[in-house]
Amino acid sequence: MQIRDYVLRRLMVLPLLIVGVSIIVFALTRIGGSPIGIYLSHEMNAEEVAELEEKFHLNDPVPVQYYYWASGVLTGDLGWSGVAAAPVIDVFPDKLAATMELAFASAIVAVTLGIGLGTFAGARRDRAPDHITRVVSISGAAMPLFWFAILMLIVFWVGLGWFPIGRSDPEIFASIGHPTGLYTVDAVLAGSWTAFRDAIWHLVLPAVTLGYGATAIIARMMRSSLVEELQEDYVDAARAKGLAERLVLRRHARRNALIPTVTVIGLSFGFLLQGTVVAEIIFRWPGLGRWMADSVLRGDQATIMAYVLFTSVLFLFVNLVVDVVYAYLDRRVVLGV
Amino acid sequence: MTAADPAGISAAVRTDVVASVRDLRVYFGTKAGIVHAVDGVDFDIRDGETLGLVGETGCGKSVTARSFLRLVPMPPGIAVSGSILFRPRSQCTACGGAGCAVCENTGRVVSDCQHCSGSGCPSCDGSGVETVDLMSISERQLRQIRGDRIAMIFQDPGKALNPALSIRDQLGEVFFTHRSQELLDRAGFGASDADGAGVLVQRHAALRTRGIERMILAVPPLRGKRNALMASADDMIVDALSETQIPNPRKVMDRYPHELSGGMKQRVMIAQALACDPDLLIADEPTTALDVTVQARIMDLISELQERHRTAVLYISHDLSLVRRIADRTAVMYAGQIAEIGESEQIFRDPQHPYTRGLIDAIPSVTHERGRLAAIAGNVPELIDPDPVCRFASRCSYAAAVCETTEPALHVADGEHMVACFLHNAPPGTPAADLPVRARSAR
Amino acid sequence: MRRAGELTANVLSNPTTLAGLIIITLMIGMALLAPWITTPNTPNPTQMPRDWGAIAVPPGSPGHPLGTTNTGGDVLYGVIWGARTSLRLSLIVVGVTVTVGVAVGSLAGYRGGRIDEILMRIVDVFLSIPELIFALAIAAVLGPSFRNIILALAVVFWVKYARIMRAQVISVKQNEYVDAARVIGDSPLRIFRKDVLPNAITPVIVQATLDMGNIVLVGATLSFIGLAEAGLAEWGVLVSEGQAGISAGRWWASTFPGLMVFLWALAFNLLGDGLRDVLDPRTETSR
Repeated sequence: MQIRDYVLRRLMVLPLLIVGVSIIVFALTRIGGSPIGIYLSHEMNAEEVAELEEKFHLNDPVPVQYYYWASGVLTGDLGWSGVAAAPVIDVFPDKLAATMELAFASAIVAVTLGIGLGTFAGARRDRAPDHITRVVSISGAAMPLFWFAILMLIVFWVGLGWFPIGRSDPEIFASIGHPTGLYTVDAVLAGSWTAFRDAIWHLVLPAVTLGYGATAIIARMMRSSLVEELQEDYVDAARAKGLAERLVLRRHARRNALIPTVTVIGLSFGFLLQGTVVAEIIFRWPGLGRWMADSVLRGDQATIMAYVLFTSVLFLFVNLVVDVVYAYLDRRVVLGV
Repeated sequence: MTAADPAGISAAVRTDVVASVRDLRVYFGTKAGIVHAVDGVDFDIRDGETLGLVGETGCGKSVTARSFLRLVPMPPGIAVSGSILFRPRSQCTACGGAGCAVCENTGRVVSDCQHCSGSGCPSCDGSGVETVDLMSISERQLRQIRGDRIAMIFQDPGKALNPALSIRDQLGEVFFTHRSQELLDRAGFGASDADGAGVLVQRHAALRTRGIERMILAVPPLRGKRNALMASADDMIVDALSETQIPNPRKVMDRYPHELSGGMKQRVMIAQALACDPDLLIADEPTTALDVTVQARIMDLISELQERHRTAVLYISHDLSLVRRIADRTAVMYAGQIAEIGESEQIFRDPQHPYTRGLIDAIPSVTHERGRLAAIAGNVPELIDPDPVCRFASRCSYAAAVCETTEPALHVADGEHMVACFLHNAPPGTPAADLPVRARSAR
Repeated sequence: MRRAGELTANVLSNPTTLAGLIIITLMIGMALLAPWITTPNTPNPTQMPRDWGAIAVPPGSPGHPLGTTNTGGDVLYGVIWGARTSLRLSLIVVGVTVTVGVAVGSLAGYRGGRIDEILMRIVDVFLSIPELIFALAIAAVLGPSFRNIILALAVVFWVKYARIMRAQVISVKQNEYVDAARVIGDSPLRIFRKDVLPNAITPVIVQATLDMGNIVLVGATLSFIGLAEAGLAEWGVLVSEGQAGISAGRWWASTFPGLMVFLWALAFNLLGDGLRDVLDPRTETSR
């Protein structure tokens, strides 16, 4: 029951936060020049501009303007992207799919590697695997993604030539249908092994690069949690019952150590999200991040604002989900300790 | 009985000894040096008796207890020497565990030593009874003993139970680990179920399944078998819980540790420990973390269960008066060594070691006159590379020259009562002037 | 004073922390001594010099130990002056954010009630937007310049301190000795200064140290994306401008400046972690 209350409380705060974010975004549109700049496109003539000014009530007080801008957003009018030469809302889904695919792949890499490495290190405290993991963790936290990505490019693309850049080979990509927008999934649905392989091969380098930082923080948290749990009495109690050491590790210590790690996993999502901006530039990935980077350079305000809104809302939801999962896992938390 | 053979085993082979600690030493490596936490401890635990091990914090009683099951972490622990001989019992074949004259109604008997078939040899220490040295057997053998022949309950049940697992899961583990065949039998799986499904179920009963195998077991045809297995486990769990007088065992099974009170949690721990009818129960200060009112009830429960199962109990505590109530014999530990050991009543009525006397005097009682509480002056010495002298000398009002140059060993004071103090036996050849004198006293 | 001495000894005893401290000292030294250990570019030393006679030469070439960029800029020059730029960036941003954050957080924590609620709602909203993206949007809207990057980072990063400080103030406030002081009759400001602040400041110090590294990391990322002036002697800009040569095998123009960003962030991370272990092992601070 308490979980339900907790979730409800958090859900109620959420709209307030979203409104707050929208106010900040709105303020930013004001600072960036003409208030209807995000709706303008080159082809518009003076009449259309005047119509827009009417539509968004530019002659009325600011709060009214906010209301109309917000209504526009809620109905899907996110403005015109100069970079994409199309309404933002039209271009968004495809780019979103590309970014989600990359983010998801990176997340899989980060979570599996991070938990695995952390468990491995925590169970062998102060021995070689632990030290190696510590080096990985510390360097991962301080690693500038743009530099690491370039290094990976130099080694694996220019140097060894193992992996390609970009998202796909254009011919192969065009040869299958794209119902979901996720290349890997579409390839499976189309039953095309060539396309699937193409998708994965293009994913490896960016996903591993993007996932590295998150791997580091997850591994670190997992390791320290595990070490802490292994010092608890219930671990000795489990051994005293005659359980094999690997069961003690897996069923008792690791299960409890995973709980604080879940929050770190949630945190690393924010890390991944922000990383897509840089990773997509360097690996020429056609997703939201690169679109955002181009927009920043070319003053495409509509895209910038849409991106900020979207990522913030996503960020808020993910944090909520993580907190709820954490509350579910750690029943002690639910009781309000 | 002599100092070298305190329990007198060689002279009169005792088959009623369930465990025998011989010259146990456990040292820890720290930045400051090597700490001699347990430094030459000898005692026996007899079948069915409660032996109290008393001492203040840091005297090494917990480390001694944990050594039985090799639960002392090896870094920072280093060098461990000595032996803990253990005589495991097995189900009495005459009555099948129900109780009869052959097994004196306990349902369990000792078995003959494998090496000498009952005649007596070094590996069974001359007793002829199957004996293992807990310090040197393999991990695998030790794991078979843990939870099954020797069980342990811990001080804080809130910490000793896994917060992430339900009571059912935790108690079930004991049965799955040690009684998987019985579980399978009860659920109706014969040994003939050798097909793939049967094998899977057998593995599950022994907690050997991998994640994928567990997923397969969740699928309908196999699901029924798995549920049958679980139901039989549930029955055994309920039986174990009812024995400790937990109300509504079926409901409690579904709960998680933090949903139970301290007393209930400790009952669960006890149920878990006694689930497989162990020969020895090690209780590490089981009531320290509980309210006083609950303490008494738990102690009574332990006594009752002990009598019923004829389990030997090693009861660790810092509380002397508590131990007096529950223990047949008591050993007093100080600074890693045994100071005094004997029948509880005798130790309380006539303490021989100055430390024991100090402890008893320090117990506030209604009948004492008003005035200052008697405390033992000084502090426990640092146990880093200790000199071979009496460790209590600096705080002892009887201390004499010999106490500061020689280490006392356990000697018989009176029958079962043994004490390590120069007040009671002088090393041969010591001049009288160097010996402590009985008449001198602080009060 | 004795406590400070004890503290320093503890911090120095950890080898990784010590390594971090050494790297920081070297970098700051490099930054401060830049005008003397290099020939400053004219008219503006923070712009990369151009040497049209030595375009894109590899490391080890005469006069250019780390090679040159596509426009003939000496990579070593960029590395050294980049340290100076980074030092300036981190000091200003951390200085401003700590001051503002501590002030707001203390106010919220100490006064409680409405003020606390309003301020913390604002903080929550700010924290809802991922840091890099927020800074990116602000800098983009203000116009690409290094100064705007500094501004953007300041606007984004102050909230962390407000949160930390507020939590600390609230927990210290509930301590008895504050009540004792109040009973004696100390003014709220005095109580704050003498009792609350010294204890609450520790996690702030740890976070500030970590941020010294992190700010440069984010700042370099913003410059890399293109929000700083072209040709600026700043690590992020250099990495970005060096990208073009990568496919042709000219790795040095991006690798060395990027390495500097890594070392800078690493060193402050190590120092911050070391401080955290020594000052309060239980404190949780964000990255």
